Amino acid sequence: MGMRRRVGGFVLRVNPILCDGFGHCHELAPELVNIDEWGYPIIEVTPTPLADVSILESARYAVRGCPRQALRIERVTEQS
Amino acid sequence: MIGALTSPYFWYTTRATGMVTLILFTLVVSLGTLVANRIGGTIVGRFEVNELHRSISIIAMVFLVIHIMTTVVDSFVPTGWISIFIPMTSAYRRIPIGIGTVAFDLLLAVWISSLLKVRIANRSWRFIHWFSWIAFATAIVHAYTSGTDTRKGLGLIVVVVCAGVVAGAGMWRFLGRPSRAAGRTALTPLASSRQATTSNRATDKSASVTTGALTRASTANAQDRTGFTRAPRPSSKNRERR
Repeated sequence: MGMRRRVGGFVLRVNPILCDGFGHCHELAPELVNIDEWGYPIIEVTPTPLADVSILESARYAVRGCPRQALRIERVTEQS
Repeated sequence: MIGALTSPYFWYTTRATGMVTLILFTLVVSLGTLVANRIGGTIVGRFEVNELHRSISIIAMVFLVIHIMTTVVDSFVPTGWISIFIPMTSAYRRIPIGIGTVAFDLLLAVWISSLLKVRIANRSWRFIHWFSWIAFATAIVHAYTSGTDTRKGLGLIVVVVCAGVVAGAGMWRFLGRPSRAAGRTALTPLASSRQATTSNRATDKSASVTTGALTRASTANAQDRTGFTRAPRPSSKNRERR
């Protein structure tokens, strides 16, 4: 790890074809995932800084906990 | 030679771990049914049920390996190393041990596919995961036919209860499974449209990616139909959020 790799941000992405609305991502990463009335995720699209390790950890839990493997973490490297 | 091990404790361990494995796999299958039928979200989180399902399955596999190893190592019953993987090769109780081998092979497929879950297609993993029902059925037959404790008394009760629980779970899974189009989570508190974020980021202003809901007609009507209160639900995670 180290400070150099903390530059940039990430977004959580869902594959809407695989998603079956289990709702685990909302429980595991409530900072990033809201849920609609049918149980499908509404995901924060604003990139989260990678330095925000607690949210990054939540996102990793959500990716691991998804029963359909529908989530992935996408790094955003654009610099401001 | 390792075949010369004649301690009776191997045989006792085989019998005991066989029983424990059966109970553990009953738990695993039942918890998997709970996950698939979207149980949880109020008192316990759904992800917690899923984690229990995953964790207990590992423990059950450990007990199963002990069960098999002690059977093979023990010289009291002449099974062979080859009969771990290939059915109908055991000299001792060929058919019942062979059924157990079939169950182990199926479980091995389920286990390895779950270990490789991130590398294989999810559809393949799901298809292989259906094998666990067949594996449990064959394991029950194996337990009854080859078990020395399962013909009477407590052992028989355990087998009958385990078979009944999994049969009930199977009925529930196949008959009562939520259909994708019917809004399967609309009756759980999870479906309330409160703001999930606890951070100070303005999610209401940011654009959101919505899946599933786009095909539905009216948000407001669905809200009225579900009819649950929008009480804020405590976070499922104990860790403090920013």
